[in-house]
Amino acid sequence: MPPVDLEFYSSCTLDQDGCTTCGDVAVPVYVVKVEGCEALVEDRLGQQASVATDLFPDLQIGDVLLVHMGVAIHRLPPPSSAQEEP
Amino acid sequence: MKYVDEFRDPQLIEKAAAEIRRLAHPERRYRIMEVCGGHTHAIYRFGLQDLLPENLELIHGPGCPVCVLPMGRVDDGLKLAQNPQVTLTAFGDMMRVPGQMGSPLELKAKGADIRMVYSPLDALKLAEKNPDRQVVFFAIGFETTTPSTALTVLRAQKMGIENFTVFSNHVNIIPAMRAILDSPEIGLDGFIGPGHVSTVIGAAPYEAIAREYGRPVVVSGFEPLDLLQSLVMLLRQLNQGRAEVEIQYERAVSWEGNRAAQAVMAQVFELRPTFEWRGLGFIADSALKLRPAFAAWDAEVRFGVAGVRATEPGAAQCGEVLRGLLKPPQCQLFGKACTPEHPLGALMVSSEGACAAYYNYHRGPVAAED
Repeated sequence: MPPVDLEFYSSCTLDQDGCTTCGDVAVPVYVVKVEGCEALVEDRLGQQASVATDLFPDLQIGDVLLVHMGVAIHRLPPPSSAQEEP
Repeated sequence: MKYVDEFRDPQLIEKAAAEIRRLAHPERRYRIMEVCGGHTHAIYRFGLQDLLPENLELIHGPGCPVCVLPMGRVDDGLKLAQNPQVTLTAFGDMMRVPGQMGSPLELKAKGADIRMVYSPLDALKLAEKNPDRQVVFFAIGFETTTPSTALTVLRAQKMGIENFTVFSNHVNIIPAMRAILDSPEIGLDGFIGPGHVSTVIGAAPYEAIAREYGRPVVVSGFEPLDLLQSLVMLLRQLNQGRAEVEIQYERAVSWEGNRAAQAVMAQVFELRPTFEWRGLGFIADSALKLRPAFAAWDAEVRFGVAGVRATEPGAAQCGEVLRGLLKPPQCQLFGKACTPEHPLGALMVSSEGACAAYYNYHRGPVAAED
């Protein structure tokens, strides 16, 4: 189970079929397994993918990331420290 | 209730729209540019324009990378693919972008070795598995995408993979915003700033725009309520005579951005002195090439690049649409010779391009004209 409601950050999922480059699309996922510079991640629909996590050497299981083109580009703060209500 | 339900809650949306209508002084016009293609797509998809008062105009900006790539660079990439040693790899969005020689997909149909990849890392894996091929990655995108290419180059270096190179067309958002503001005919009042680009660069770089040009920037999320809230924040600033940077997308964007991503970009890439943008012309310091230390992975160094200068299709008015001077249906080719199935201009290719988004989601006026 994801540690937070991933839709809080964005409704995008790993099977986003638009133009991810032009749409400035990044998919919120949580980390299921860490394997060196790769991590198995899962989106809000339960879809999994292996992504590059070179930018986050101290990654932990349960961390929430934004993934763009197979690469984790941002680690998200938990909702409690971000904006809670729209 | 799930968060996304709240961000799409009709009552909350109507409340925000009513606040926008209240804030928009009837005696003045407001011209706000959403820089990002994802915002353009969301505005059309959710019909947000229809909720806004007549005197608040949304101008669709240059944030769709395939839309702003000049045809000559597409042809430069296709010339690389004509080298029998080369396997050209590109994102799916690039495959249908027309150059003078056709699109990558059309050239592939004629026998060129051109393959679609989801990530630059997939292109690197292809090179690792095919050491007899020269795998070139057609890199494109703003700062959301650039870290992925930079990491891939660093991995290629670490793994000693020498048959992988990058044809870099990465561009930076701030110089494009400056170029737009330097074009007086566009006449903008403020910007809805890009969401995920800003997770990488942070919101701080926009402060120079706000300070030097006196235009507010609000970095926005992608849900309908995000965009309407951003417009409320912009109108409040404009009515109060403020020009500041504010973050509406606080749940993902910080002021400083991702320092690690900024560091890998700076390690691998350096600024080109100038680069051509479709519709905007040449913009100084607006695009990236690989640093000399990474020349071994630079396709332009390894193969040479023709530097094709191509003229846009005669009647297409992509440049005017990109600069916000025309709405998509005001182009004489829109919906006739140029459709998402048969795009003549790149704005009709990407689903985030202003013309494709307008074609797919905007109903009334298009139907009336037809």
